[in-house]
Amino acid sequence: MRHLRYLVAAVAIAVFPLVSPNPYFINLAQDAAIVAIGAIGLNILLGLSGQLSLGQAGFLALGAYGSGVLSTNHGWPLWATLPVSLLLSAVAGGVIGLVALRTRTHYLAMVTLAFGYIVEILSQRWVGITGGSMGLIGVPQLNFGDFGNGATYFFWAVAAALLLVQMMNDYVMRSRFGRSLHAIKESESFALTVGIDAARWRSLVFVVSAVTAGLSGFFFAHQAGYVSSDAFGLDRSIALLIAVVIGGLGSAYGPLLGAVILVMLNQLTAGLYEVSFYIFGGILLVVMLFFPAGAVGAVQRLFRRRSSAVPSSADVPAKSAQPTSATVPAAASASPSDAPILELHEVTKSYSGVVAVSAVSLKVMPGTVHAVIGPNGAGKSTLINVISGLYQPDSGTIRFLGRDITRLKPHRRANLGLTRTFQNLQLIGTLTVAENVMLGLQRGRSFVPGWLHWLVSDSEERADRAEATRLLRYFNIERLADSLPGDLPYGHRKLCELARALAQNPTMLFLDEPIAGLNEGEALDIMAKIRGLKALGVTVLLVEHNMSFVMELSDTVTVLDYGRKIGEGAPAVVKRDPVVIAAYLGTEDA
Amino acid sequence: MKSADLVQLLISGIAMGSIYTLMGKGLLITFLTTRALNFGQGDFLMIASFLSMTLLLAGVPVIVAVLIVVAVLVVLGVGLERLAIRPLASMTAGSASSLAWILTTMGFGMLLQNTAQLVWGKSRFYSPPLFSAKQKEVVEMMGARFYLEELIVAVLAMVVVAVLYWFLFRARWGKEVQAVSFDKATASLLGIDVRRVVATSYAIMAVLAAVSGILAGPLTTVQAHMGLLFILKGFAVVCIGGFVNPVGILIAGLGFGIVEAVSNYINSAFGDLYPFLIALLFLIARPSGLFGEMKTDVR
Amino acid sequence: MKLHRIGLIAASMLAAFAAHAENIKIGAVQGLSGPPAIVDFGESYLQGNQLALKEYNATSPKHKIEFIVYNDEANPQRAVSLVQRLISNDKVSAVIGTVNSGNVAAFAPMLQQAKIPLMAGPAIATDITAKFIDQNPSYIFRCSMVEKFQVDSMLDWGVKKFKKIALLHGTGGYGMFAAGEIQKGMKARGMELVAVESAAPNVTDMTPQVLNLKNSGAELVLMFHDSLELLYRAMPKANYKPVVAGNWGLSSQMVLNIVGQEALEGTVMGQALDLGDAKAAAFNAKMSKEFGDKYRWPVVAALGYDGMRILLQALDRAGGDPAKIQKALETTTGFKAVSGTPEKPFGPKDHECLDAENVFLGVWKGGRVVKLR
Repeated sequence: MRHLRYLVAAVAIAVFPLVSPNPYFINLAQDAAIVAIGAIGLNILLGLSGQLSLGQAGFLALGAYGSGVLSTNHGWPLWATLPVSLLLSAVAGGVIGLVALRTRTHYLAMVTLAFGYIVEILSQRWVGITGGSMGLIGVPQLNFGDFGNGATYFFWAVAAALLLVQMMNDYVMRSRFGRSLHAIKESESFALTVGIDAARWRSLVFVVSAVTAGLSGFFFAHQAGYVSSDAFGLDRSIALLIAVVIGGLGSAYGPLLGAVILVMLNQLTAGLYEVSFYIFGGILLVVMLFFPAGAVGAVQRLFRRRSSAVPSSADVPAKSAQPTSATVPAAASASPSDAPILELHEVTKSYSGVVAVSAVSLKVMPGTVHAVIGPNGAGKSTLINVISGLYQPDSGTIRFLGRDITRLKPHRRANLGLTRTFQNLQLIGTLTVAENVMLGLQRGRSFVPGWLHWLVSDSEERADRAEATRLLRYFNIERLADSLPGDLPYGHRKLCELARALAQNPTMLFLDEPIAGLNEGEALDIMAKIRGLKALGVTVLLVEHNMSFVMELSDTVTVLDYGRKIGEGAPAVVKRDPVVIAAYLGTEDA
Repeated sequence: MKSADLVQLLISGIAMGSIYTLMGKGLLITFLTTRALNFGQGDFLMIASFLSMTLLLAGVPVIVAVLIVVAVLVVLGVGLERLAIRPLASMTAGSASSLAWILTTMGFGMLLQNTAQLVWGKSRFYSPPLFSAKQKEVVEMMGARFYLEELIVAVLAMVVVAVLYWFLFRARWGKEVQAVSFDKATASLLGIDVRRVVATSYAIMAVLAAVSGILAGPLTTVQAHMGLLFILKGFAVVCIGGFVNPVGILIAGLGFGIVEAVSNYINSAFGDLYPFLIALLFLIARPSGLFGEMKTDVR
Repeated sequence: MKLHRIGLIAASMLAAFAAHAENIKIGAVQGLSGPPAIVDFGESYLQGNQLALKEYNATSPKHKIEFIVYNDEANPQRAVSLVQRLISNDKVSAVIGTVNSGNVAAFAPMLQQAKIPLMAGPAIATDITAKFIDQNPSYIFRCSMVEKFQVDSMLDWGVKKFKKIALLHGTGGYGMFAAGEIQKGMKARGMELVAVESAAPNVTDMTPQVLNLKNSGAELVLMFHDSLELLYRAMPKANYKPVVAGNWGLSSQMVLNIVGQEALEGTVMGQALDLGDAKAAAFNAKMSKEFGDKYRWPVVAALGYDGMRILLQALDRAGGDPAKIQKALETTTGFKAVSGTPEKPFGPKDHECLDAENVFLGVWKGGRVVKLR
């Protein structure tokens, strides 16, 4: 039955207060739930999108005071203050998220530290509003008016919220959202080329983490009826981080497990106050050194052995079936016309004083295979980076399908049908082969409708999965679907990247050194695949060193040397051009 | 603002700022070789303050006390690298590996804090001055009065900057550090003993922490949890200065100290807020610090 | 038959005696880690508790006392959770603690609801017991200094002797609270503070604040910041020597060691322990013997000592039943305190050990704290 685990959880939540031996355990469970909500948000932020925040306590404070102040000093009811809490944290999260686009890694850590510290100081000093360190007293408790059973009602409320948040978290992790975040974390520029607006996603994730922290703060404020600014110091942010890491960073249930462990640790050290820092410090060291994947990782190691499909290197890809429109994904074919599908005009790019591409102009006709060749350092990869949008040219224009895309962001170019592969294979190491291919399928519903749909059926994910499998089958690596790229030999990884590129439904495909590192049989196979794509109307621009490959496959060849175009035309013509020979072909067998 | 007051503030600001500078440099040197910072460096400072206080109160001559403190801290520093940093390098590239060092160095720092609590107690302590016989020896200059300690701290910090600058950019060892910082594998192929360079960098960090602890003790209150604000400010300073050049850190550190003193003078209720606020705004405007370089993430 | 009756009476007396000997649990929640200001007070109060318990056990008492101590780390959420644990899990008959007034405010309602007596201390907020006193019965008692009394006696003296008074306070919970009380008190006495300076609890240098105080011309500086010595260290730089008055913390021996006799001369503080008194001196000696140089705050320890002894005295009479303990506390008489606590500390409308008249001012003279006349 779908989502059985959530039903079980709901029942457990309902029953727990009734079987709990005394209110103390209910109180502990409340604490764990409050921490878990915040931890889930931080886990998505840090574990999935790779952004470090050491200031989550600031968002917690905003949520707690937003609701606390309005309800205590102004008598607002809690159902009205909750949205205010969430809104406040969301806005703050958005601001920090935007800042996070500019500042990365260590600097981001400092920014979030400073943010948390500033919020703590403000809540401590603005005594008139927040009550400062002495605290806001008499905050209405979330007990639905019944003090006697209040603890139970509060637990039900916060645990229900936790369940909802956990369900949304699970959806994120099992859907394209999770995959996209993994991609952004590992290689942001690659993510752009599959159509992911990395900037927007990164800031949105910050907002998400802030809102969960704010929600956590809301419950915190109304638990004991007392909010003191002492609760929002750096140690609070660190405690949340510890919970996430001890539970298992990046895993779906790590935050929950980590929250429970943290709460229990605190209770344990309450009586051992002389050595509490030894205990905490020791745990940090031991966990990071011996259980870096946290409690979840340790459990996984105990109960599962991952089946690694280790393909033998003697595997030769069997003669692949001829591509027909049934076996190959429908590629958006450009309407045959005389207009070039891609047009570069006097494109120049230099950096650090080196002119990599100098006033290069070329036209690519639709439905053709167009090769770009040249000696090392000629600017070929730079050219591809410029066309895909990762570099901005210093001058010149680029037109695609008649449209000027010179200033267009990379992810938008990808969405127009410009797809590329990378010379140094941008496969996301933490995703399986199939998941990497699914990254190319950047389509689907937006979050809330997607989540609601997911609650009822997994048809969307299954459809994506089926498509990925079809693509893998086309390249004869279907059996590797659940392997990690890191476990595979180079040739298979290359095929995986190609499959991912095809998944993007390309109108025009850029292949950066597609057969480098492959043996002859594999190269022939790729050649056949490219011919198959051409037959379906996909335009291919490829960069290659291997002359026989280029000559056999391409319709047009452009030659670059020191960033300048020195020759262009049909392969046979270019082969005989003395300038080209002098620069490039002279030392190689044609 | 009276001019005498301004001079006074400048001097006490520069004195504290020098301590922040030293902290920042310690963070820089380990970052260069291991891309990791010692988040427990404030606790290193704390141990140095406590140790030097105990030794001086016991009548040990200053030079000997300094040598002992530096030696102890170097052991701690090298131990930290061995225990909390090096094992992480061989971790599989999981999600946690990029920030594992934050937690391990923090954990190490916690162990130091608990040790200090057990050995010296949980109270606040006072460290005797190093350079003036009695605490009340005040120097007068330009109408402003200050302790000799403060002046010497500032001078010493600048000396350390100069030495470190020379090391990093002129001496051979500095070139090795830059090579390791750029790429460990390549450096090792060039014949550089990477392990030794890394261990040395942590030893230098420890020396810097020791010096800052010895100097800070007499200026401020010594207690087991004093490290937190020092690491916070040290981190802010190295971010503002950029993870590249000690001169940037010097400017950032002195600037931070001065801003701190002046904002407390203007408004003591929120005085400690402004330096961090300014740091935050600065980082937003110039994300990689004064001397850092912005690298575009392109393959 | 006579023998039989004597035996029966003896047996029943024995049985009655044995039935009264109970295993009683007292819970303590204290600030035992974190900022030194908190820890100093928490540990000292606990030391007083522990000495009282030790002496009680040495008298071969009726009941066996189990003393459960938890560290709340000055964290209100932690404190609430731990009190919950004491009530529901450990099933204590009484609770004693803690330092942070905010923490006490957070868990006092729980104890009142659960009908378990609380001996609050060393928290200083003014209305800790006042909030509950009208409840019939109130389970909240306190054996600690009440900040308002200290502030009142200080201001009464200050406005008479000085024309220009300034305030330096910490921005932590205690400092902000004290600042509020002082400002209210000054207004009630028709005077204005010439300067109000504040500093973070973990500040490293007070030169800016001292410069401002000097520029204001203040003759008396009310000092309510945790880091006492930083003020004294900055004053010679500004060539400024006002009279300093502060809270009971200024009476510690440690301050003398740090600041030096000369600088400390004439400093005034609130006090509830007159070391000139024989009982107090004897207590001081006992504490030094028991805890060595971990013993730091005589007045706090004395209040902890007295508070625990009152509690144990009540337990002796009432056994482990919390309701009976509450009554026994309220009807305590003949109590020989070490601090300024009177012989009958509590009543139906008064759950404070110390009242305004028990708080006086002390002053440093010649290396000792004596009563200010």
